[in-house]
Formats: sequence, structure tokens, C-alpha cells
Amino acid sequence: MFDFPFMLSTVPVLLKAMGTTIWVTLVASIGAALLGFSFEIARRSGRYSGYAMRFVIDFIRSTPILVQIYFFYFVLPQYGVTLPALVIGVFALSLYYSGYLAEVFKAGIDSIPAGQFEAAKSLGLGRLDTTLLIVLPQMLRAVAAPMGNYFVSLLKATPYLAVISVHEMLGTALDIGSETFRYPEPMIAVGIIFLVLALTIAQAVRWLELRLLASLKR
Amino acid sequence: MSFLDVLSVIWSGFGVTAEVTLLSLAYGVPFALIFGILQFTTQGWCRHAATIVIEFWRSSPVIILLFVFYYALPLAGLTLQAMSVAALVLGLNIGGYGSQAVRAALQSLDRGQYEAGMAMGLTRIQTLMLIELPQALKAMVPTFVNLLIQLVKGTALVSLITLADMTYKAKSVAQMTFDPASAYMGLLLSYFIICYPLTILGRSLERRLAVAKEGGHV
Repeated sequence: MFDFPFMLSTVPVLLKAMGTTIWVTLVASIGAALLGFSFEIARRSGRYSGYAMRFVIDFIRSTPILVQIYFFYFVLPQYGVTLPALVIGVFALSLYYSGYLAEVFKAGIDSIPAGQFEAAKSLGLGRLDTTLLIVLPQMLRAVAAPMGNYFVSLLKATPYLAVISVHEMLGTALDIGSETFRYPEPMIAVGIIFLVLALTIAQAVRWLELRLLASLKR
Repeated sequence: MSFLDVLSVIWSGFGVTAEVTLLSLAYGVPFALIFGILQFTTQGWCRHAATIVIEFWRSSPVIILLFVFYYALPLAGLTLQAMSVAALVLGLNIGGYGSQAVRAALQSLDRGQYEAGMAMGLTRIQTLMLIELPQALKAMVPTFVNLLIQLVKGTALVSLITLADMTYKAKSVAQMTFDPASAYMGLLLSYFIICYPLTILGRSLERRLAVAKEGGHV
């Protein structure tokens, strides 16, 4: 039988693990944005680096995140690199989403008029200055909405880290299940918490986008 | 074990991966069409109900949905096989995303199409089936290809609920040979071989559609 009081008793433990979920989401989002932007800049910086980066990005996008997590978790130690599961998890999430963000940034940079690059050149700006002062600010305006959607998607990918025993919310729920031999209650609780969290954060991202777009229009 | 042996063990799980993918499509495609059309054509409480169902399947992390349904359905007196649970959850999750592509494609049509259909004396359903849907389907195709890639990658999750797909086979090879590097490298490669052609196809369809929209010349 479904034990409702037991389900309620798991909620505080799960909420405590929500800190890890949010923290992982924030760090991996920043990591994914930085990596994705570097990938996209590298893809544009020359013919051969262009081919190489396109292949890397396509490879990342054509393989499951679950397998990438397993790969880094089990293969790195074979070559003498032992990192905590949490670090590997954050890295894997950053890398996976950097592939998607690189495509988003590509569209964003493509939307900048060619005159902007010509003007930067005629002002004597170098490649780094052009990237940081001319491209980045204009690109961010164009990519705010799709980038926000990928951050929400990243939040929903954090429970994958449970498979390498990171104690975020799903990992904690599975622990409760194996200790008490009752899986349904913690699972349903974590399902509800995640649904509420994802909807809340999606709404917050939408609100931030509107604020950002409004402030840029002024 | 040579790398080729490892690959052949991994591909012995291809049948299960393909079966989960096809069964998921059997749930996901009808769900996407029905709920996307419902959200487009209805108003009031009916539209709200459709939105709630879609948001449930779309906003929850798919790994959590899988665990919730796998562990909690038996409590409701429903004992489904792992394969059925996997197809249901993966299918309706991807169908939730698909429904938004359906709705967006229908909304992007010129309103004159609908008005012309009604003015010619077609019923609402005839207008939808004969005028609006055929045009909208074209705009949906690239999104559907991308969702198919996402679905194939998502099937790696079924290894967590005891189904012997490619990921499951790779895990067992890694444990048997104590050589996770070749097992997981082989697995990444296998998914890449399946998904990369789809990635290329999706991109070329997107480009073709963009060209068509700009009036046939670029």
C-alpha cells in the first residue's frame, strides 16, 4: 500500500539535497556557456580548426549524456586521473550542453550585421577586442531566450548524476529506497519536487529574459 | 577481447535499443499530433487540460519519470513490463516536446489559409486536415528529426531498468574485461554511428526549409 506519511517524511531529506541540484545546475551552466562560446570562436578562427571543432560539437551532440558521464567516470581513473564524482558530473554536463550552446551562439553571431565586424576592423580593434567588446554583447541579446531554455534543460539533466552516486535529489531518493526497501514514495516525492522546481525555474528564466530584453531596448 | 569483439557485444543490444525507439515513437507521434492540435484548436478549459498534460510530460526530467513509473505503477495495481514502461515514458516525454513543434507550426501559418478554407464551406476539421496540417507538417520535419535524435539518445536510460540495450551490454563488458576504456569508447562510437547521419539530415532539412522561406534563392 502507498504510505502517505512516509512520503511526507522523505520530503525534508530531499529538499536538503536540492542545494546540490541547484549548485550543480549553476556551475555547469556557466561552464557550458564558457566552453560553448570558446568552441564557437575556435570554429570560426580558421579552416582546419573549423572542421575539427565542427566534428567535436557534432560528436558531443550525437552521443547520450548518460554514456558521456559513464565514460568520464570509469575511463579517467584507468589513466590515473581520479576526480570526485561531483566534479566529473559537473564537467560532463558542461561539456554536453556546450555542444548545444555552441550552435545557439553560432546563430547569434550570424545575426550580427557584417558592418559591425568591418567597423571594428577599421577602428583597429584586434581579434580578442572584437570578440569581447563587439561580438559578445550583441550576441547575448540574440541568444538570451534559447540559452535560457538550455539552462532549464540542464537542470532536468542533473538527476543523471545519480548514476555515478552524486547525492543530488534523485540519488538521495534512491538511497532512501534502498535503506527502507520502499521505492515508490521517495520516487513520487522527488518527481513532484522536480516538476515544481523545473516549472518555477522555467518561469524565472522567462522573466529574466523579458527584463534583459527590455533593458537592452532602452 | 579485441575492440571488434567489444563492438560486437555492444551491437548485440541494438535490437533492444531499436525496439524501445520504435515503440516510443508509437506513443510519441500520435501524442504530439493530438495534443498539439488540441492546444491549437481549442479554447477554455479544454485547452488548459491539454496544456497541463503536455507540461507534465515535458517539464519533468525523463530519468525521474522513468523511475517514478517503474517503481510506482505496481502500487496502482498495474504491473507493466520494463519495456512497456520505457516506451510509454520515453514516448510521451518526446511527444510532449513534439506537441509544441506541431502547435508552433500550425500557428506560423497565415491566417488567410484558415479563412479561405472556412469561406469555401469546408468544416473546421476539413480545413485542419486538408489545408492547415499538410502545410504545417513541412515546417515540423526538422524539429521531429532533432527529437528523434534526442529519443535515440534517451533510450540509453532503459539500461537502468534492467533492459539489455547497447548501454547495458557495454556496462557488462566493462565489468567483465576490467577495461572500461574500450567498452565506453565503443559505446560512444556506436551511438555516434547511429545519430550522426540524423544530425546531418536534420541540419540539411533546416537549411532547405530556411531557403524555401526566403523565396528559393540564397
